[in-house]
Amino acid sequence: MSSIERLVRTPAAAFEFANILLTTDDATLGASEREAVWTHRGITLWRYRSSQRTYPVPVLLVFALINRPAIFDLRPGNSFVEHLLQEGFDVFLLDWGHPEEEDADMGLDEYVCDELHWGIRETLRASGAEDLTLLGWCIGATLSAMYCGLPRDGDRDRVRNLALLTMPVDPRDSTYARWVGDPAFDVDGVAEHYGVLPGRSVDFANKMLKPVTNFWTTYRRLWQGVLDGKSRREAYQPMAKLVADNPNFPGRAFAQWIKMMYRDGDLVSGRVRLRGRRVDLARIDQNLLIVTAAADHIAPRPTTMPIFDLVSSEDVTHIDRPGGHIGLIAGSAARNEIWPEISDWLRERSER
Amino acid sequence: MPDRSQQTDRSPSEQVRALYEEAESAAAKAFEEAVGKPSFGALLARSAENAAALARIGSDVADLVIRNMRIAGRSDITHLARQLHRTEDKLERILQEVELLRDEVAAGRSGGRSANGGEPSTGRRSSSETS
Repeated sequence: MSSIERLVRTPAAAFEFANILLTTDDATLGASEREAVWTHRGITLWRYRSSQRTYPVPVLLVFALINRPAIFDLRPGNSFVEHLLQEGFDVFLLDWGHPEEEDADMGLDEYVCDELHWGIRETLRASGAEDLTLLGWCIGATLSAMYCGLPRDGDRDRVRNLALLTMPVDPRDSTYARWVGDPAFDVDGVAEHYGVLPGRSVDFANKMLKPVTNFWTTYRRLWQGVLDGKSRREAYQPMAKLVADNPNFPGRAFAQWIKMMYRDGDLVSGRVRLRGRRVDLARIDQNLLIVTAAADHIAPRPTTMPIFDLVSSEDVTHIDRPGGHIGLIAGSAARNEIWPEISDWLRERSER
Repeated sequence: MPDRSQQTDRSPSEQVRALYEEAESAAAKAFEEAVGKPSFGALLARSAENAAALARIGSDVADLVIRNMRIAGRSDITHLARQLHRTEDKLERILQEVELLRDEVAAGRSGGRSANGGEPSTGRRSSSETS
């Protein structure tokens, strides 16, 4: 494109660029058909029915507390849920909802011992299955691992497969830890003052990990793409909408998370107690899939690796690929790269 | 980094763009290093504490004004919502006990089949809500 052509195209590109930004909130997320199976407080268990269900073991998806789980079902044609349904799995999703001030007393014990436990129970009841696959991503993976690390009883025995995607295990040597790991930071005070930590502040902190990339380069690249006629709004908008939609982080859970993960390293040292019961990751003996991302800046790869030394599973599979925390699973390349690998792993372990 | 022969093959505007991207990439790296320092962490932590304290003070003042007007403030609504949550928690536990008993009765009737009987539950809380 010549300089003159570029100059002529600039006003139209500016309108297009502004339109993409201004209409981002109108983008459709999570278009797969689903039904609510169970609700408690603001938490919902969704079921996505497969019309070609082949495997008797349902998959329960658990995402982080700090982003919306629509990441699993981003847009038609680029949806992990859609992929699993096509592969013949019955898919459930535990949606943590949008916590408000009245949820400030929700701690990790409530999330793991109540909500996740009940979500599993309802998944089994609704599907009629004997056991299930628990697939957690980010904080959702840590909650899932903590659940499996509790002493066995009832439904806890019924997790056959455990898949942990980009799971923080020991992030004491990370940028986050340098921000919030200092004992001088009054995490309890912040949690108490806010009640629930505003989602936007969590989003701001995440973006500050890569300030130039997140606050400038993303928009500059979009502008460049629009100017060159290469930008696709259907690719940009769903992800931008999702990234900007951050639920609040309940204060109690936030304080527990910071102390457990970034200060004391309680999870790796086996000192986490939920309702008086010790979480011991050595109790994890399920078929285990661990997915790590080489360019993950939220849960850097070295902080995810200690899990291998802690579990007692005999069937352990590790998939390590280039890519970022979100892009690895939700990026445009995931459809042809990581999703088939995950569904292949599930297929082999989901027969009767 | 592209070698010199590749650079001379490019148009001036492409060379300018490549130089800009190189500078941006260097700036990104420098900023990432800066935000990774403990001093930045301390600054961020103090800012968070101050913002939380200011938010609390603002909220308390606003609540005081509204309550003096005999209108339910945010804290009243939060208090009410918490009570609803507690009631919901209790109901959930009772419901689970009822389901357990129902399953046991059903299993007893069918001569010791498993609690679920391998069949999907009838979905006592299944909703027709779709999205």
